Amino acid sequence: MSETEALETHLQELRRGTAVLACLRLLETPGYGYGLLEELSARGFETDANTLYPLLRRLEKQGHLTSEWNTDEARPRKFYRTSAAGSRLAAALTADFHAIAAAIDSLPQED
Amino acid sequence: MTATTLTDRYVAAAMRTVPEKQRDDLGAELRVSIDDQVDARVENGEPHGDAERAVLTELGDPDKLAAGYTDRPLYVIGPKYYLDWWRLLKLLLAIVLPAAAFGVALAQTLAGEGIGTIIGTVVTTLFSVAVNLCFWTTLVFVIVERSGAGAGKDLTTAWTVDQLPEPTSRGVGFGDMVASLVFLALAAGAIIWDLTIGFIPAYVVPGEEPLSFLDPGLWPWWIAGLFVIMALEATLAVVVYLVGRWTPWLAVANAVLALAVAVPALILLSQGQLLNPEYFPTIIPEDAEKVAAIVSVVTGFGIAAIALWDIIDVSIKTVRARR
Repeated sequence: MSETEALETHLQELRRGTAVLACLRLLETPGYGYGLLEELSARGFETDANTLYPLLRRLEKQGHLTSEWNTDEARPRKFYRTSAAGSRLAAALTADFHAIAAAIDSLPQED
Repeated sequence: MTATTLTDRYVAAAMRTVPEKQRDDLGAELRVSIDDQVDARVENGEPHGDAERAVLTELGDPDKLAAGYTDRPLYVIGPKYYLDWWRLLKLLLAIVLPAAAFGVALAQTLAGEGIGTIIGTVVTTLFSVAVNLCFWTTLVFVIVERSGAGAGKDLTTAWTVDQLPEPTSRGVGFGDMVASLVFLALAAGAIIWDLTIGFIPAYVVPGEEPLSFLDPGLWPWWIAGLFVIMALEATLAVVVYLVGRWTPWLAVANAVLALAVAVPALILLSQGQLLNPEYFPTIIPEDAEKVAAIVSVVTGFGIAAIALWDIIDVSIKTVRARR
């Protein structure tokens, strides 16, 4: 495995949970698949479509998101919104993320 | 739209493996998402066909996407059951294969087959037993993996510290030496008893030749040779105890001694000089030939198995002692 491949793998591992956290926080305002994909990317959470769509389904199944079809527009879309349980999960994940960031900051510094 | 588009084909392919209930909802959502992505690319000036291809290529294998939607595992046996599967399979192979090989070889020999047929049958039997064992064991685990997804690890056991194996003693203890010496002494005594008195009381007649199980023609030279080897084995047992472990040279000596007993014994057996030809005709006049044939085959296998087991056992102990 080359160094760049190794770096890619490790970055992927590191970012894995952040997509969930970002979705839960962003969907406090209802959103749909593609719109969310764009917003995630604009905010620096690069996520693949084939990761995001199944992820939304899983979060919905777990009760962290609710969904409904919006047929007001020409193209009906399925809108997701963070549930109360999802908000609690997002708060817990955010707190943990800050704790990890603080822990990393307190690690011995490189010269 | 008259012709089916690539998107139609993609959505159909992805929904093929999704449960009926979710199919319409998921399919509609996936289609809208694809259309949104394609439109965004078209707005940036890409031709529709290229945009569609690019979006679908990025989404990847539809079966993989569907597996993501339905939480279906994309492996045969996952990390949850892998170790249990591997341990059980190794255990089964280690127990069943030698037993099957020995059983088949014995049965074929008793049936009077030639050596070529016996080896051929053993090899094909071992192969089919191994394949079956691997297949059925794996199948059970695959079913458990797929059915027990939410049931936790009930069917298999959680690991506890109590399962840690005892460190096997590397040295050779006093008990091993005593056991070897006692066994050798008992064997020597039994051979002498057999040749001088005989084991069947009804045929022990004072003043007459005893009815021995071993061929009386082995006395004195073959038996003397055997006793010399047994004395060497006793010496070896003591040396191993004093050294404290099996070294490669001691293991070689052990193998040489084991073969020095087994090879001549098997040759004598095959020439009909090991067992007393009078033995069975005297105690069971009818069927004597058949019984004698079976007993000599079983004896041959016994001799070979003991020598082989001895050599393998010592080799394993030697390798362990080197670590």
